[in-house]
Order: sequence, then C-alpha cells, then structure tokens
Amino acid sequence: MSLRVERDNMAFTFKGGMLPMTVMELASADPEHIREQLADKLSQSPAFFHHTPVVLSVEHLDEPHLALERICAVCRDHKLLPVAVRGGSDPVKQSAWALGLGWFPPQESERPRALESVSSDEAVPPVEPETPLKAEDMSGGRIFRGTVRSGQQVTSPEGDLVVVGAVNAGAEVLAGGSVHVYGPLRGRALAGIHGNHQAGIFCRELRAELLSVAGNYKRLEDIDPRLLDSAVQVRLTEEQLSIMSLD
Amino acid sequence: MAKIIVVTSGKGGVGKTTSAAAVATGLALRGQKTVVMDFDVGLRNLDLVMGCERRVVYDLVNVIQGEAGLSQALIRDKRVDNLHIMPASQTRDKDALTMEGVGEVLDELNKQFDYIICDSPAGIERGAQLAMYYADEAIVVTNPEVSSVRDSDRILGLLSAKTRRAEQGEDPIKEHLLITRYNPNRVDQGDMLNLEDIREILSIDLIGLIPESEAVLRSSNQGVPVTHDDDSDAGQAYADAVSRLLGEDVPLRFHEYQKKSLLSRMFGGGRR
Repeated sequence: MSLRVERDNMAFTFKGGMLPMTVMELASADPEHIREQLADKLSQSPAFFHHTPVVLSVEHLDEPHLALERICAVCRDHKLLPVAVRGGSDPVKQSAWALGLGWFPPQESERPRALESVSSDEAVPPVEPETPLKAEDMSGGRIFRGTVRSGQQVTSPEGDLVVVGAVNAGAEVLAGGSVHVYGPLRGRALAGIHGNHQAGIFCRELRAELLSVAGNYKRLEDIDPRLLDSAVQVRLTEEQLSIMSLD
Repeated sequence: MAKIIVVTSGKGGVGKTTSAAAVATGLALRGQKTVVMDFDVGLRNLDLVMGCERRVVYDLVNVIQGEAGLSQALIRDKRVDNLHIMPASQTRDKDALTMEGVGEVLDELNKQFDYIICDSPAGIERGAQLAMYYADEAIVVTNPEVSSVRDSDRILGLLSAKTRRAEQGEDPIKEHLLITRYNPNRVDQGDMLNLEDIREILSIDLIGLIPESEAVLRSSNQGVPVTHDDDSDAGQAYADAVSRLLGEDVPLRFHEYQKKSLLSRMFGGGRR
C-alpha cells in the first residue's frame, strides 16, 4: 500500500537510477605515481577534469592497505571527485566508509546494493558500476507484449527490446541494443542508450515523438512526412540518424 | 459479492460524474442493487447530478472517521428503489480518505449490493488512485479529442499497475471504453477524433458511445440522471452501455451522422 504516504508531505523519494559514471581503474597504489599521470592527462584534456565524479576501482590492486585518503586528495587536486570505491579488502572498505565514500563489491560478485553508497556526512549520489556491454551480446534482451501506454517506460538496459503491440504517445521505450516495435510507434524510442552505434529502431508504423540511437536523435518534426505511418528502420550512419522505409 | 466499477478518465470535464450517475441509475433500473460513491472529496458533484444534494447529512469521510454509520450516510434514491448514493465531503480535504478506510467501507457495501460504482476525481493523484485501487472493472470515459485520449491512455497504465488486482497479481481489471460527447457530424468534418482512431489507440473494448446531446446538460442541471430520459439519444445510449455491462450484445447506435428530415427541421422535432 504505497499510497499511505501523502506525496506532498514527503521530503524525498528513493529512486533507482543508472547514471553514467567514470571508473578510475587503479593499477598503482602509489599516490605520487597517480599524481604524475593525472597531471599529464589534465594538460591533455582539461575539459574532462571538471569536478567529474569517479569511482575508484581497486579490484586489480593486490594491496590490503591502501593510502586511500592520499589518493583521494590527489584526485581532488586534479578536479576529480571520488564518490565511491569498488573492490578491495575489508580494511579498504572500512577506510572508504570512514572517508565518506560508498563501497561497491568487485564486479565479478553479486549486483551491488546501491544503498551502501549513501554516506553519513557527505552527499554522495548513488552510483552503480558500469556493466560491460558488448554490441553482440543480446542475452539481456526483453520482450514486452501489450500496449505501452502514456507515462509508462519499458527498458531493456542490456539488450534488445521487442514490443509486440503499440507504443503510445507519451510512452518511452529504451534499450541498450535495438528497439523493435511490432505495432504503431507513437511515443519515444531510444536505442543504444549506452552508446552502441550499431543499434537500430524498427517499427511497423512510424509516428514517434522522438527517435534516438546512441544519443543522436530526431524529433517528430524532423522526420520526413512521407515516411510517417509506414514501416521503417532507423540507424546511425556517419553520426546521422537515417530513417529508411522497410517496404 | 458486489462488482466494484470505477468510472475514471484522468482528464476533467469529460463526463465522469454524469456517466457514473447514468450507469448506476441504469443498473438499478435493471434490478441490480447499486450504490454510487463520490470520491471527489472537496468538490462533490455527484449528489447534484443525482438530485439529492438537499438530503446529505453524513458523507464518506464521516463514515471512514467513525463519526457516522454506513446506513446513516447512504442516501436512498427517490426515483429508483435499488439505488443508493454515498456522497463525498464538501468541507474536508482529500487527505481525509485513507486506503484502509475506503477498503473497510467497500467491504461493508460488498455485503449489501450487487454493484458499487466509484466516481473518481479527475487527475492521476491520490484521490483518483484511491477510487480505482479496489476496482474489479473500470469504465474509462473519453471525449473524442487528442488530450482526453492521451489522459485515458495514462489512466489505463495506472489501472494495470497501481491497483489491488495488479499489486496482488490477480486477474487484471476489466477495462471498458465509454466515449462521451460524440458528434458524428463534427467527426465527419474532421473536428473530432473518430471512433475507430480512439479504439485503436486505447485498444480496449467499447462499452458505449454517448452522443453529444442537449439532454445531458438538461438532466444534469435538473438533477435527474439522463438514463431516466428514455426519449433522448443520450439516455438510450447509456441504457445500451448498461446492457453491455450486464453482458448483453447490443448493436452500436448514434455513431453515424443522420441528416435531419425536412419535417423535423421545420418543426424542430425528432431527437431531443
């Protein structure tokens, strides 16, 4: 009975989120070594170092005790904002918590519990580690049967999404891979949400409010009216979204 | 065991209360013990449309807060024996309704009635979600216009997610489409969405099509549900919808434009 709490009186809501996150994979535990390399990178691409939140991954370090505080200080000096640590021994976990950072289990193990990343003294956004995504890997695909209605969102974060039915105006379908709609597509369709340029959108009847492949998008207004209401495929060619008739 | 039917739409002003009153009246006229409940706390209208506004003493909020018994709050309809009205409160605000309280009232009504019609407030907020939470069936009232269809689509999404049946994994709510204010003439002229387009977008069963009619406004101002007006097109269309709700197969009427004959144009007769 989720309705018991009056919405107006709520100070906050917890929501799951998938945020793009830079993982800093440490190959050295020496803060000075890290400092040198960071300084080098900073001169190459200063735009990247703009209080960018990073997750420090220490999975591949074989050191039970880590000068975590100094490494964090080096990062902050170079305008990187460590928000969490991934992997490492128990002392590493403890010192991460002591520093107000979240801790994630190493990637091989179970799915991280996002709540663990909420620290007591510092506002840290919940962070989920990046999951490795291969373009060819469609094992995480999903089939949805029925109408996706206004306000609803159907996601297949790790593979293709197949909708057997209509996607109505105001609805949103997202996939890490391609989006296939066996019916009218009237809402928003986003394929390749993790940046897969090979992904495409396929539908039986095009009326989409928005089409996007790997972040390149077209609005309904930008779509050639001759293609509307027909069966099409949408793919990325030379950073341009092209819509082609399937008939 | 009563059937709980919520009359909802998302969008305001499409005819939820008129339809709830008309359908409840129609069911009662067909011999079903029916109660129609107003969930629009703070903006109660149902009692006006049912013509019982002067007989309201206690309301749903009083019952939920234990200030009155169920039988004290239920108003017996003057025209039909089997029909009762449960008014909403005009003075309290919407927070006065609780999920448990509504559940208890519905449990109690369940023992006494065949049909419980819940007249939902507009919107998709708590009031509307409370009205739909315990429903077995839903009548989604839609006008032939784009914004109304969009809002109905949104409500259909909520019906399949935020209701007891959805949460407990029971059979989904049976959804019915009721199109109101349909004017075949304006549909032909392209001013209004046509029936087929609405059905295609919402893809649920059509339970009734109510033509735009002067009889509706008149009946609502007189406080007599339009179902009582057998001569009017809207009254007949609601009666058809009630028959379909009861499982009968009734052909669709009033969806095609009929030219008025010369005589009826001259004398202003024909359909009222």
